[in-house]
Amino acid sequence: MPEIRDVRDEPPPFLGTWRRVYTAVLVYLALIITACYLFTRAWQ
Amino acid sequence: MTGLDWVVLFITLTVIVGYGLYRSRGSNTVDRFLLAGKTMPWYAMALSIMATQASAVTFISTTGQAYTDGMRFVQFYFGLPIAMVILCATVVPVFHRAKVFTAYEYLEQRFDSKTRALASIIFLCQRGLSAGLTLYAPAIVLSVILGWPERATIFLMGVTVITYTTLGGVKAVTWSDVQQMIIIFVGLVIALVTLIHMMPASLSLPDALYLAGAAGRLNAVTTTFNWDDRFTLWSGLIGGTFLFLSYFGCDQSQVQRYLTGKSIGQSRESLIFNAVAKIPMQFFILFIGAMVFVFHLFVAPPVLFERAVLDRMQHTAAFQPVQEHYQSAFDRRREAAQRLIEAHHSGDGPGEQQQASSYRAAQRDLDAARKEASKLVESTTGEKDFDDTNYIFLSFVTRYLPAGLVGLIIAVIFAATMSASAGEINSLATVTMIDLYRRYFRKGATDHHYLMASRWATVFWGAYAVIFAGWGRKLGSLIVAVNVVGSLFYGSLLGVFVLAFFFRHVRGTAAFFGMLAGEAAIFWAFFFTGISFLWYNVIGCVVVILTALTITHGMGPQKAGGEAITDARA
Repeated sequence: MPEIRDVRDEPPPFLGTWRRVYTAVLVYLALIITACYLFTRAWQ
Repeated sequence: MTGLDWVVLFITLTVIVGYGLYRSRGSNTVDRFLLAGKTMPWYAMALSIMATQASAVTFISTTGQAYTDGMRFVQFYFGLPIAMVILCATVVPVFHRAKVFTAYEYLEQRFDSKTRALASIIFLCQRGLSAGLTLYAPAIVLSVILGWPERATIFLMGVTVITYTTLGGVKAVTWSDVQQMIIIFVGLVIALVTLIHMMPASLSLPDALYLAGAAGRLNAVTTTFNWDDRFTLWSGLIGGTFLFLSYFGCDQSQVQRYLTGKSIGQSRESLIFNAVAKIPMQFFILFIGAMVFVFHLFVAPPVLFERAVLDRMQHTAAFQPVQEHYQSAFDRRREAAQRLIEAHHSGDGPGEQQQASSYRAAQRDLDAARKEASKLVESTTGEKDFDDTNYIFLSFVTRYLPAGLVGLIIAVIFAATMSASAGEINSLATVTMIDLYRRYFRKGATDHHYLMASRWATVFWGAYAVIFAGWGRKLGSLIVAVNVVGSLFYGSLLGVFVLAFFFRHVRGTAAFFGMLAGEAAIFWAFFFTGISFLWYNVIGCVVVILTALTITHGMGPQKAGGEAITDARA
């Protein structure tokens, strides 16, 4: 059975490094939880 | 369903399957059949990952849940972005560089063959049990809605999935998933817009939100901590992170999606897309359920949403008073809702408080009438724990949405079922062929031999899922048990992968016995405690790690393993 081919790594299409992308995702999570909390409070 | 609905349903499903098969041309080697020759772009993987996770039950059950219990379920997904970041940083590059077909193949590179075999068998047990359910659960609902026999619905969906998965492999599955997710998005957006358009003309969107919120249907975040409560901020963040780490990092049905990426970066992007899009998507689906609730503040909902049961019950004498109670409770709630909106608009604070109390009391009375009806169904039919939550959204769709749109929404449910089922069957076949057949029964055969073995394994698991689903009703409460059992295996799988990635000195034997101890701990929690299932993953994972570390410490790194460490990161 032929071997699986090598795949290359590459930088993300935005923010330059993957570390920055991960940080952005975690900041986004904090914002979205805050938004959900404010949504709950606003319509309680 | 009208003729137009049938045309829309038929065309939608034909296009989805046809396009998937068209894009899968050339899947004539094992590498192409199981990994698409590592050629998939990020957006195809991203939508395929989303489609595989979102089964039909996600759409019909989640909307119903928002209708009855509010939007708390969204918290379940708060751990997903954290899990995706961890997986992108660790698992994705390691699996790609290890050049593996399955996640469990990597365990042999890192530990030994027995650890790989145990993990593969745990996966086959868990995913195999849920494969039938994936077809069975929506088939019951669709059969009631369409008036078809359950087995005909299961057979139609099952044979369609088996056909394109066997012929086109992972490429057909992925490209069909892309179409399915597009149909799902389009269908749900149109459903929400139509729903809002159908609200009373005097009711603005903020009014609708106000009424839903006053009835507790917009409770997206619960900050209190409770071990027994499935959906809180904390269970979502902690338990959810562990669950999604297990699901996306150790479950072949998901790992196989991103192993098809043409680069490590493309695989990462597909997971990052899910990290960003999943919570808003679930919020949106739950919001539809909350808006269905508001719609039914002014248009009387049926006392029972499962129409066949309602028709049967209406012929019984005992049902009449329940129906009358329900109708009068509905009238009171509608009037209370109108008075509450008027008080809200007038700016009369104390009056608004009073009207809000009356509105909530009317809601409780309506809930009590529905509970009374459910009890009556249980005593009349002998069915235990009657629950028609899954019928709420489709009941609304078939009763109130215009012709054509009904067909589209039914196509959404079919599409969601087929995408989840195809991913499961494809991954079960891959593990069967790579981790068992090629590893233990037939080494060194030709590529063509393994390609045919993969196809036959796909047919086997597809047929198994159809047969299991076809006997679903006869299995009765076992089906419920099986659903729970599915959540009992992830913790130990996650634990062994955490050992593999982060504890370099731990060897095979320690990992193997750690997994066994982790499973024992989860089963103990399941049988002897009331802890919510989301915490099982945390418990299992921690026990696997502690046990393996204890064994390693007690025996010394040389005796606790056997083989030398072959870390794919090196």
